[in-house]
Order: sequence, then structure tokens, then C-alpha cells
Amino acid sequence: MSTRTREIVLAVRRFQAMLVKELKQLGRDRVLLAFILYAFTIDIFLAASGVSLSLNNAATLVQDHDHSAASRELTGRFRAPYFRIDGQVAHDKDGLAALDQGKAMVVISVPEGLQKNLATGRQTPVAMQVDTTNSVLGFLATSDAQTIIARFGLESALAKLGVAANAGNMSGLPVVNNEIRVWYNPNQDDSWFMGISEMLNIATVFSVLLPAAAMVREKERGTVEQLVVSPLSPLGILLPKVVSMTGVILCGIALSLFLVLIPVFGIPVKGSLGLFFGLSALYVFTTAGLGLFAATIARNLAQAGMLSILILAPMLFLSGAWTPPEAMPEWLRGMMYASPLHYYLDVAFGVLLKGQGASELGISIAGMSSIGLGVFAAGLLLFRRQFD
Amino acid sequence: MSDIVIAASQFGKRYARHDAVRDLSLTIRRGELYGLIGPDGAGKSSFMKAVAGVLSFDSGTLEVFGSRIDSERSAEQVKGRIGLMPQGLGQNLYGDLSVEENIDFFASLRQVPAEVARERKEQLLATTRLAAFRSRPMKKLSGGMKQKLGLVCTLIHAPDLIILDEPTTGVDPVSRRDFWAILAELVASRGLTALVSTAYMDEASRFSRMSLMHEGQVLAEGPPEAILARVPGAIVQCQAVPQIEALQRLSGRFAQCEALGPTLRIFARDVSGETARAEVSQMLAGLAIERLDVLEPELEDVFVALMAEQGRLEKPQLDAPLAAPRDEDTSEFAIEARALTRVFGDFVAVGDVSFQVRPGEIFGLLGANGAGKTTAIKMLTGILPPSGGAGRVAGADMKKAGALIKSRIGYMSQAFSLYLDLTVTENIRLYAGLYGLSREETRNRLEWIIGMAGLAGHEGDLAATLPMGLRQRLALGCALVHRPRVVFLDEPTSGVDPLGRRAFWEILFHLSRVEGVAMLVTTHYMSEAEHCDHLALMFAGRVVADDTPAGMKQAVIAEAGELFEVSGGDVLALVPELRESGFDSVSPYGKKLHVLTRDPQRLGEVVHARLPAARIEARPMAMEDVFVHKVTQLEAAQRKGGT
Repeated sequence: MSTRTREIVLAVRRFQAMLVKELKQLGRDRVLLAFILYAFTIDIFLAASGVSLSLNNAATLVQDHDHSAASRELTGRFRAPYFRIDGQVAHDKDGLAALDQGKAMVVISVPEGLQKNLATGRQTPVAMQVDTTNSVLGFLATSDAQTIIARFGLESALAKLGVAANAGNMSGLPVVNNEIRVWYNPNQDDSWFMGISEMLNIATVFSVLLPAAAMVREKERGTVEQLVVSPLSPLGILLPKVVSMTGVILCGIALSLFLVLIPVFGIPVKGSLGLFFGLSALYVFTTAGLGLFAATIARNLAQAGMLSILILAPMLFLSGAWTPPEAMPEWLRGMMYASPLHYYLDVAFGVLLKGQGASELGISIAGMSSIGLGVFAAGLLLFRRQFD
Repeated sequence: MSDIVIAASQFGKRYARHDAVRDLSLTIRRGELYGLIGPDGAGKSSFMKAVAGVLSFDSGTLEVFGSRIDSERSAEQVKGRIGLMPQGLGQNLYGDLSVEENIDFFASLRQVPAEVARERKEQLLATTRLAAFRSRPMKKLSGGMKQKLGLVCTLIHAPDLIILDEPTTGVDPVSRRDFWAILAELVASRGLTALVSTAYMDEASRFSRMSLMHEGQVLAEGPPEAILARVPGAIVQCQAVPQIEALQRLSGRFAQCEALGPTLRIFARDVSGETARAEVSQMLAGLAIERLDVLEPELEDVFVALMAEQGRLEKPQLDAPLAAPRDEDTSEFAIEARALTRVFGDFVAVGDVSFQVRPGEIFGLLGANGAGKTTAIKMLTGILPPSGGAGRVAGADMKKAGALIKSRIGYMSQAFSLYLDLTVTENIRLYAGLYGLSREETRNRLEWIIGMAGLAGHEGDLAATLPMGLRQRLALGCALVHRPRVVFLDEPTSGVDPLGRRAFWEILFHLSRVEGVAMLVTTHYMSEAEHCDHLALMFAGRVVADDTPAGMKQAVIAEAGELFEVSGGDVLALVPELRESGFDSVSPYGKKLHVLTRDPQRLGEVVHARLPAARIEARPMAMEDVFVHKVTQLEAAQRKGGT
């Protein structure tokens, strides 16, 4: 056997020994295992089924001073599933109080003489008060209500002009219609978006946290010294950790995809699963560099945990999962392009929902891998330096 | 009012799966300095915490100051009269607060009136000689000073009973002696009662009465002398050549027979010193006997004898077959350090350290915490690059061939860093893999390690569930998996009971003598230094003495004279007077004094002038005496140089 082959045999034996050790240790950590299992199944189920970005059953109160057919027609148009009429209020202060106490989100006030004004061709203001504490829902309620009232006004005006316009049917009139085609998520199902982005977020959290925890545990216990005096190189210590943790996280992703997202929420897998898992592996592996960075600085598990949160929070917020880059201030947008998660989101949505292939995702893949490899290299460099 | 402070009867404490303490009964009276002696896991801390009212217990009764401790309420009633110092250096103190702030904090916590607190603080600071450091942050104090500060904080509310859990563990011998002297003084002058635990068997003479504990049970109870008298016999220490032959002959006859470096130490039970001497000489007939001394047994010998009575003596299997040793490197030294230096910022952790270790030699690196032992080891093993100097380890240059060295050495770090969540076999297989052993080699070594460490039957157990002694030998096995020619052991025996330590040293002895493995060991048990063939004493990052144990003792004798023990009566009060009369090397040793002098006659005159009844006896010097003498001298020189 030449020295070269001997070297390779030794390196393989070392790698095997470390890999087996890492997996066994993880397998015996019941608490961590349970946490991983929970995060990749129940947590994703909750996020996909519970979190909704659309207006549902907004509690609405009506203050009807007109008590006419027209006013009933108008308020009747505030319908489920968007609005829910919770009843009438007689006085302004009751409406305000309900808003203050959070019992109502919308209060609509129809003034006296609505029906009369419509008949005589005069304009009528309808007042609406909206609680916009939650800015997204407030915005949705306002715009929905505007559409409803505008439409009611238009139809009333047309009726006054003698044009027969049954609700919803304006054919033959010079009206511009907005014909929308919904792609990739035909039912505009929030659970698809929320489910997938939560899965990616969880994968990110674990790809930082698991290698950091595995490394710091060795530091705390003092076993890292034992490894350093053995013929292992720093890379020989790190690589098996990162590889085993990547494997575990990929299993987690598979769990959530095949146990939760596809069977429960009916997410279609349009693209190649192989491509998705391949790119996920690349992402998880490179993101581990951030975990190594945390493990290099931290002296114990608590510190590593806190550092990971510090690293993860901006990564998740700046990923584009919650806000698209276009909606961000310019200076933040720049930082966003530095977050590997941003590209991973594009890749995951692209492959799973849009059926994109490697060529269409070229830019995202390039961005993800270059930033990822940079992060991993930096983490490795820092990790090595602590032993010099 | 009765003067019984603590009365425990059939006290028992259970944790989930095992008994921490079983059937412990004892009575402690006012003014006693009562000791609980035993290795880790003996149940000392559990009992002390129960007395302090911070831990519930499961069976038996416990009365403190006459009131029955059976609920949180009843414990609360006596807490004001108790001071507790938990285990660990400065564990109950705040690292960022200064000495004075720590004391003030405890005073206000205990609601001591400001005026009283101030007065008491000054007294205690003066007694403990901490007054000069009052504004220094606690974390910057030495281990010994932290413990003294802990004692002050425990005493600030003038408790009637103080409970000190292993106050001297991890403290260097000089500070340990100092601590005991201060404690003895405080107990005597304030009428305190103290319940103190320790894992050092050689500290037994400090106590008025004590319980010798092991695995939750009391092996013996009473004054130290009475416990020693439980197992009568004599110790024979001899040097015979060839040593291994002598050991084989003697170990057949005597159960307690161990090698201490070139010396053999035999406990001959139930016979007088003279009979023992005759018997040993006869058994060694035909060998060259270079030296033969008869001594009195120490507590550790008694402990081991009591354990042997229960049939719990551990015998490692060392006759397991060994494959042919590795290709011998021909260099004269296995380890050679030349002017090694390591600087952290402007702090010199190790400065200009040189020493050599020959193949087959057990080399001991001694020194207090922070003397630079661990840093030196880390440089030689390649964990830490040196700032200067050079070294050769296992025939390779430290600077150029780091990787080669790593594959040739074994290393056992402080606190035996095993993977606790892996089983015994998995740990061994992991290290076998790391050193690139083939499947065949792995199987052979696995078998050898299991036999050597006495792990048969534990192969599938998680390392976390092993007792300390087994864990330590498993760690040693892992360090030896690739049959290294050089092994580094950093504090390999801390926390292990005397039985485990004996078995461990037996293995090391075998490795060095039979297989020619060179070993570098650091230890803070001074009694273990006797196991080494050669010693280097480190102080403030430098090697200040480098010799065989016997050579070191000879050097001290040549320098300061023979060792005499002064006992009987209040000899501690004589210390200032003796120092004034020109006896520089006087140190308290329990209730006795150890004095090094070339003029025993004058010593007798000075002592008897004050205490006519005092006894003065010549004693063989122990490594601890050497260490204390050297360090005291160096500290004095440093102070002189500093001013």
C-alpha cells in the first residue's frame, strides 16, 4: 500500500468513526429529537393551517340611521367570509367603545336619508371606522369595504339612470373588467405559502443551531481537546458534524413534505424532488457555517443558543418570506440580497410550486451557493483559528 | 440546654435510582471540628445539605440545635444559626464583586447591623490575611484566597454551626495548610461547631472526630487515632532491585502492595513493625535491598484495608496478551522540552521550561493551580502553539511534525473527557477509528482495554453511568488504543476514590515498566507524586526543581534540615515565637507543627520553654513537605523581589 492510499484509508476510517458517533449521540438525545420532530411536523402544520394573511370574519357593527331598504341592501353586502355583522349600535360612542375594547374591527355608519338621496340623485357619505392595529388586516378591511361601497354606489347610480343593472351583471355597459388569472396557487391558499416558508425557516434554524450545539457540547465537556490531540484536522472534526446534521435536517424536510405539506394541504410538487433535495442539502450544509461561527465564539450551550437567535432573527426577517424585497427600504434590500435564505426561498417556491428547473433558477442557485460557500469558508477559518 | 448540635439517626437519602446515603448515624457536639472523609459520591454533600436545611431526605431523623428537621418550616428556624459554604472554588461568591463587596453583600443578606458587620469584617479580614486585597474582584483571587473569602462570608452573621463542603479541593497544599490553620483558630476562638468534608485522606488529622464514608455508607466513625487503630499493622517501604521481581514476590503475600516510583509500599496487617520488617526482608532474599523503612499506617491504608475486607479491592488484568510493540524510535528521550515559553498578552503562563522524559519513565509535573502545568502539556501535545522554545515528542520535532506527533501520543485530559452518551464499546471504537485502526486491530485493542480497565460486563453501559474509577480507566484505555509510546495525563486521578487511584497507578506502573511507555502526569495529590520516577516542580510558570522524589527530599534536607513534628498541647500558638527564633520553615499540620531544622536541640529548647509536655519527633519527609517548603520559600523571595 502506498503512503497515499494509506492516508486515504485512514481519512475514511476517521470520517466514518466520527459520523457514526455524531448520529449515535443525536439519536440518544431524546429531547432534541422530539424537538426536531415537532418542528418539522406539528409546527409546520400549525403555521400552515392557523396563520392566515387574508381577512376572515372581521367583526363589523352597523349604525343604521336610515332604516331603509337601501341601507339594508348596502350593509347586507358586507358578507362572510370577509366580514361578519355582529349587530347594530345606536350611538357614536357605543361604536367607538366597541372599537376601543377590541370587540369590533369595523363600524359602518349609514346616515339618515340614504334612500331619499339615492332617489333624488344626491350624494351621500357613508362613514366607516376601522381598527388598523394589525396593519395588514386593517388595510384589507378598508380596501374591501371601499370596493363594496363603490360598487353599491355605481349600481345605484346606474339604476337611477334607468339602466337595468342587476347585481354583478353589467354586460353591455362600458365598464372595464379586471379578469385575473391566478397561477401556481389557484385557490390562493395561504397554507401553501405559510407551510413552505415555515418549513424553510425551520430548516434554517436547525442548520445553524444543530452544528453549533454539537460543537459547543464538545467544548463544554472538554472532549474537543481529546479530538484536537488526535490526528484529526479541524476539517476532520467539523465535516462529519455538518454532514450528519445536514442528513438529519434533510430527513426533517422530507418528513414535513411527505407527512404534512403534500397529504394534508395538497401542495403540488411541480418540479423535480431530486433537484429540491439537492439544493436543500447545499443550502443546509453551507448555512452550517453560521453555526460554526456561533460555536467558535460561544463558551457554552446557552451562549451558542443566544448567538444563534441573534444570527437567525435578521436572516428570517430579511429573507423575503414575510416581506418581498420590493417593499423594503433600499438600504435593507441590499442586506436582503446577502441572506442565503432569500435565494433558498426562490429556489424552493420555484421548484415546488412553479416547476422550475435548474436553468431557470440559475441566478438564485448561483447566489445561494456563492454566499453559502463564503459563509462556510469564513466559519471554518474562524473555527481553525481558535486552535492556533 | 444540651450541647448536641447535630444528631442524625439512620439518616437516608435516595435519588431516583441509587442510595446517596444509607443508615448514617452520628452526633456532633458544640466546639467540634467534625470531618466527613470520603471520595466523590460517598454521600457527604447530600448529608451536609440536609443539615443545612436545603435538601429533603427520605428516612431516619435529623436534629439540628435540638429541633427536628422534618419540614421546610422547621429547617427555616435553624437556618439563621447555620453558615453553609458549598462545594467548588468561590461557588457562592460573585466574581465581579470585590472582596469587600462580597462580604458586605452577605452581611446585608443576613441582616447584620452595619456597625457589627463592619467590626466583624475587619476582624475576619485580618485573621484570613485578606485585608490587603479588599478591593480586588473575587474572580482574580487565587483558589486558596477564594476559599478564605468564602469562609469569611459564611462567618459574617456569626453562625453557631458552619458547614463547609470540600473547602480544600483544588487548592494547592500551601493554601490548604493555611486554610486549615485559620479554620482551627476560628473554631477554637469563637466556640464554633464545624462540619467539614474532604476527599483528601491525608487531611484526617485536622479533625477532632470524623466519619470515613464510601458510597453512602459509614465505614468507620470516631477520632482519627481510633479509626487508625481499627486496622492494626505496619507499613514497610522498601527499594529493591529488580523492582518488578520484588513486587511479584510481595504481592502474592500482601494484598496491599503498591509501587511508588522506585519504592514499594506494603501494608502488613496485624503484625508489629519489627515482624513486618523481618518478613519482607526474608521474602526479598537474594535481591538487592537498597532501603527499607517501617512506618505507621495512614488513613488511606486503613480505608483500603476496610474496603478489602468487603472484598472490593480492584485488580486490573494486566497479563492480557499484547501484540508486538510498535517500531521503536531510537531517540534517547521520549519527551524533551527546551526553553518552552507561552505568553498570553503580558502574562507569562509558561516561561523557559526545560525537562526530559526517558522512555519507560513516569514523569510528574507538580504545581499549584495556575502554575502552568496544563499549559505546558497543551504545548507538548500540540493543542497550543508555543510562543518560544522547542520540543521533541516521540522522536519528532514539535514545530515541524505536529501531525506525526499526534498519531504517536496518547492524551488523557482533565476530567476524562469521554462521550458520556456513548457506551463503553462505542467510545473505544470511536477512538480506534480516529487513530485509523483496522477492524482486526480494533477488536484486539477492545479486548485488551476491557480487560485492563476491568470493564467486563459493562461493555454496553453508557459512559455516564459508570463510577468514576471505571470512567477514568476507560479514558485511559481510549488514550492507549493506538499503543502510543508517549502518554500525557493531565490530573488523571482527581475525583477518584483511593481504590480506583491505586488500580490506576498499578496500570501506569505496568505500562512504564513492562511496555516502556513514557508518561507525563500532572497531579495535585502530593501523595501521588511519590509514584513518579522523576518530578518537576512548577511555580509561576517556571520549573523551580527537577529531580527524583528522593533527590528533592534530600535537597530540602540539605538546605533546611530534617523534618520534625511538634505535637501535644496548643502548639499552634508557638508559630510566631518559633519564627522569631530563626526557624523559618514552620508550618501548621492539623493540630501539630511541621518544622524543618538542622538544630533539633534548639527546637526542643524553644518549644519546651513554653510547652514542657510537647513531643518532638523526627518524621520521614513527604512530598507535601517538600512542596510547602519550596513554595513558601519562593513566595517569600517573590515578595522580597516585588518590594
